[in-house]
Amino acid sequence: MSTEISIEHVSMEFRTPEEVKHVLDDVSYSVTPGHFVSIVGPSGVGKTTLLRILTGLTQPTSGHVAVDGVPVKGSPAGLAVVLQDYTRSLMPWLTVEKNISLPLLNEKLSKAEIKERIGASLEEVGLSGVERSYPWQLSGGMQQRVSIARALAVRPRLLIMDEPFASVDAQTRFDLEDLVLKVKDDFGITTLMVTHDIDEAVYLSDEIVVLYGKPAKVRDVVPVDVGASRSQIETRNSQRFADLRTHVYAMVRGLE
Amino acid sequence: MSTVLERRTVRIPPALVTALVFLLLWQVFTMWGPLAGTSVPTATTTVVTFVRLLGDSATYSALGQTLLMAVVGFVIAVVLAIPVGILVGLSRFAFLSSKFTMDFFKVIPPIVIIPVTILVFGPTIRMGIFLVAFAIVFALAIQTAYGVRDADVVLLETMRCYRLGIVKQIRYARLPSAAPFIAVGIRISASAALVVAVVAGLIGGAPGLGRAILLSQAGGLSDVTFALVLLLGLLGIVVSRTVTWIQNRTIFWANR
Repeated sequence: MSTEISIEHVSMEFRTPEEVKHVLDDVSYSVTPGHFVSIVGPSGVGKTTLLRILTGLTQPTSGHVAVDGVPVKGSPAGLAVVLQDYTRSLMPWLTVEKNISLPLLNEKLSKAEIKERIGASLEEVGLSGVERSYPWQLSGGMQQRVSIARALAVRPRLLIMDEPFASVDAQTRFDLEDLVLKVKDDFGITTLMVTHDIDEAVYLSDEIVVLYGKPAKVRDVVPVDVGASRSQIETRNSQRFADLRTHVYAMVRGLE
Repeated sequence: MSTVLERRTVRIPPALVTALVFLLLWQVFTMWGPLAGTSVPTATTTVVTFVRLLGDSATYSALGQTLLMAVVGFVIAVVLAIPVGILVGLSRFAFLSSKFTMDFFKVIPPIVIIPVTILVFGPTIRMGIFLVAFAIVFALAIQTAYGVRDADVVLLETMRCYRLGIVKQIRYARLPSAAPFIAVGIRISASAALVVAVVAGLIGGAPGLGRAILLSQAGGLSDVTFALVLLLGLLGIVVSRTVTWIQNRTIFWANR
């Protein structure tokens, strides 16, 4: 199930008639199969650009990205995405079950199999019973759960999340973080997440990649050694958690 | 919570109140007011004539001819405009390229081309159909193209990430996004179709209610003229209410 991602010497320039904007400079990094990796850095540093290159939505100016050794051209097989703006990434004209089953159109599944996948993924995110609802009838947190269920339904080998919890309230955010930890324990999908929230990055990740500078380089790769089992209260109160978050925060702020 | 007292009060449809006041003012103005003794008939005369016309088969054949021109012209316009609008909307170049020409034809009032259509078709039903189709096809095509272009980038990119191809993007994202735009176009077009079908008779001499109005006016039967206008007004309301009713059931997500 798990997938290796390699990013080799990736540089990215955006050319407009007025200027050339150099966003990423010689970024190299490999994601260990099954790892949960967060990408952090100052606003506008190019985190989302890097994710877009990995999903095949954007081609890098130079360098290579590969998933399981296969160069990325277009969206790699086995990729699922969860984006920040769930209201724009779910379809208001489709019910929850139709939204979840949409990516399954590519696979030759029987009706029973599709139904089974929808049921199982909604159960995994704790949302059974809303199959026939429309996304806009649900709360923000529930809509993001639907996005996660849609991602899980394709049985992804690679999960990419772009600030998945930035648009929900604090309490819902903790719930969704714990949901993601559960998904990680259950499936061990290789996951890359962009976040602005350094606490969240430390809480969820096996490893944190810090991007910094203009153009951005990999400033550091920080292994998160706070243990495999995590809890909102104990983990966040541990000394190691505080040290890591201070270290990462200082780098993001350019203080270290 | 309504109380028993409130429930007992007789509910008068608010629309009826203004309509009755209008009829009353009409009656007063034409009997004793500045319009007394002119060719403007009283409200009661008009209503009596209206009822008499409802019993006359000639009314229904004129009504049928007008509706035939309006409906066939409308259907032709819809069948042409929506596929063209979709194709044009899919390509940025096609959209920008064709917009000027379509805008040009859109702003030509149908009345202006009546002399040409009489030369080509004569004062016939076919001329009325052409005029109706011409009057709405360009606006509807532009409206459709706008709708297709309006599809949310986040939604389309989410679909690309899930490896859903262009056909599925059209089916599940572009078309539903365009639906509210097309609906507005259709609502306006349906009313316009009726108006133009009448104008085709009134000015172009095509058969139907327009010509009936023209003939009654020429024959000095002002009560018939007014009764026919009354009939047209009511017909217009039926058309627009019907279209709205259908839309509220098909594009439910747009007016939540």
